[in-house]
Amino acid sequence: MNPTVTIAALTIKEAVRRRLLLAFLAITVVVVGLSAWGFDRLSHANSLTSGETNLAVPDALILFMFMFSFVLALSASAIASPSISSELESGVLMTIVTRPIRRSEVVLGKWLGLALLLAGYAGGVCALEFGVVRLASGFVPPNPVLAGVYLFAEGALLLTLALFLSTRIPVIAAGVIGVAVFGAGWLAGVVGTLGSALNIAALRTVGQIGRFLIPTDGLWHAAIFYLQPPSLIAEHVAEGGRQDPFYAQGAPSWPYLVWVACWFLIVLIAAVASFERREL
Amino acid sequence: MADAALERSAATSPRTRSPLAAGSPAIHTMGLSKRFGGTLAVNSLSMTVERGEVFGFLGPNGAGKTTVVKLLLGLARPTAGEALVLGARLGDRETRRQIGYLPELFRFQALLTAREVLRLHCRLLALPKATWGEEERTALETVGLLERGDDRVGTFSKGMQQRLGLGVALLGDPRLVVLDEPTSALDPVGRHDVREIIRRLRERGTTVFLNTHLLAEAEHVCDRVAVIDKGTTVAIGSLNELLGRNSSVRVKVAGLGENWWSGLSRFGRWRGEDEWAVIDDIDPSQIADLVRDLVALGGQVQAVIPEHQSLEARFLELLGER
Repeated sequence: MNPTVTIAALTIKEAVRRRLLLAFLAITVVVVGLSAWGFDRLSHANSLTSGETNLAVPDALILFMFMFSFVLALSASAIASPSISSELESGVLMTIVTRPIRRSEVVLGKWLGLALLLAGYAGGVCALEFGVVRLASGFVPPNPVLAGVYLFAEGALLLTLALFLSTRIPVIAAGVIGVAVFGAGWLAGVVGTLGSALNIAALRTVGQIGRFLIPTDGLWHAAIFYLQPPSLIAEHVAEGGRQDPFYAQGAPSWPYLVWVACWFLIVLIAAVASFERREL
Repeated sequence: MADAALERSAATSPRTRSPLAAGSPAIHTMGLSKRFGGTLAVNSLSMTVERGEVFGFLGPNGAGKTTVVKLLLGLARPTAGEALVLGARLGDRETRRQIGYLPELFRFQALLTAREVLRLHCRLLALPKATWGEEERTALETVGLLERGDDRVGTFSKGMQQRLGLGVALLGDPRLVVLDEPTSALDPVGRHDVREIIRRLRERGTTVFLNTHLLAEAEHVCDRVAVIDKGTTVAIGSLNELLGRNSSVRVKVAGLGENWWSGLSRFGRWRGEDEWAVIDDIDPSQIADLVRDLVALGGQVQAVIPEHQSLEARFLELLGER
């Protein structure tokens, strides 16, 4: 077996035995259960017209998915930040890196294992939540798979960053920086949206630079786009647009997606280079 | 721990190496140095560890021993100098296949069982899958953990984890085993077991680089030792070479006249101590000649007791000389 795959399998096995997945699953099931009740009430509320319900359900779903995207991002940062640093501090990695394998295989194996765990969790959450919303209200997002992929990518981005930090920085610092970066990215997005709403070029520029440097908010908006019914977007466009952090008028552009792919690649290469150069 | 297990392992594990590497020493360093900021942790270390010998690397805490081990294993880069391990440059990936390493800070995946940890290392060593079962069993048997193989490492005591670490280091029949303070967490029985394992490794022709500050450990098992302090080699040689310089011998002899030792001054400095004659600074290889000469003088030799300086005393003396 390829050493990268061996390390990835080890990472997954340890996470499963740590009952990390079980804990996340249990919390998710409770939250999804509560959301089922909420969506059922919302779609059967007598005080709302069917048109208002059709508007409210996608918005409520986006809010729920925002909560899950936050959980995904925090989880990604939490599981990746100790992956290298704490194992170096404890000595667990010392016998592994002296085996006939490349250090890059250790980093990539960790990344692969953690990314698969994250993908599993993102996929599970999306399937559960979308299924529950469909049962309760009959609403199905226009592209649930792409929405899930972008939610996963948002988490994976923080995972990659936290892994890079983990090659040099102690656990807590790496975790805190990961969360702070997520927060900063989201805030930059909000500032950009405000700039667009109030027509302030400087704020809009902050948002654009933020989405470039920390693409989490850009990916979150990509996920939003695929959660909204096209009819709803057309309605907002007809009304002259809508400016809020929980709305996306268009799909992410190809150049932006290429940049996001480059971002992943750059940070991953930096993680590998950092660990390879580190003296243990 | 079972001796037979190691012998089985030697019989079943194929070794591959290039003829060039085969002829080279196990470890050869030339002016190896390592600086951390303003601290010179290793200062121009030159030494050779021959294949098949048990080499003790001794020194007080903070002497630079573990830094040298890390340099040899490619975990850190030297600031100056060169070194070859099993004939290859430092950190060579393929050579690491032939090196077993028990780190000073030994920890293993707490949520895996001992067998799973060993299997993980079999995978990383790319050993043939058919041999994994035997490798695991042999390693567990060798370090006395056969009964606990299916228990999670997290339930192990520190000493048991160190035993497991030794088992991990022995996987794949390595040509060089680097043990960094291998008995730090072990009880006296465990220490004895480790000494036995080291002896078995020597019998198999495996080179053992034993990094320790426990001098008794080195005295028991090492063929040669190097004493390092403040990153510099203080002394290097066989135990006889290191300890023999100040050897003494006690002789109880009857039937000789007064001042009988005046003709035997070439053997060393003589002094009387009750009914004993003590010869200091004698070359240990000359004791047989001394006895022969005493008998030739008409003496009745009743007892001859060679007295080696202990490694600890010599160690303190060497450090004190600096």
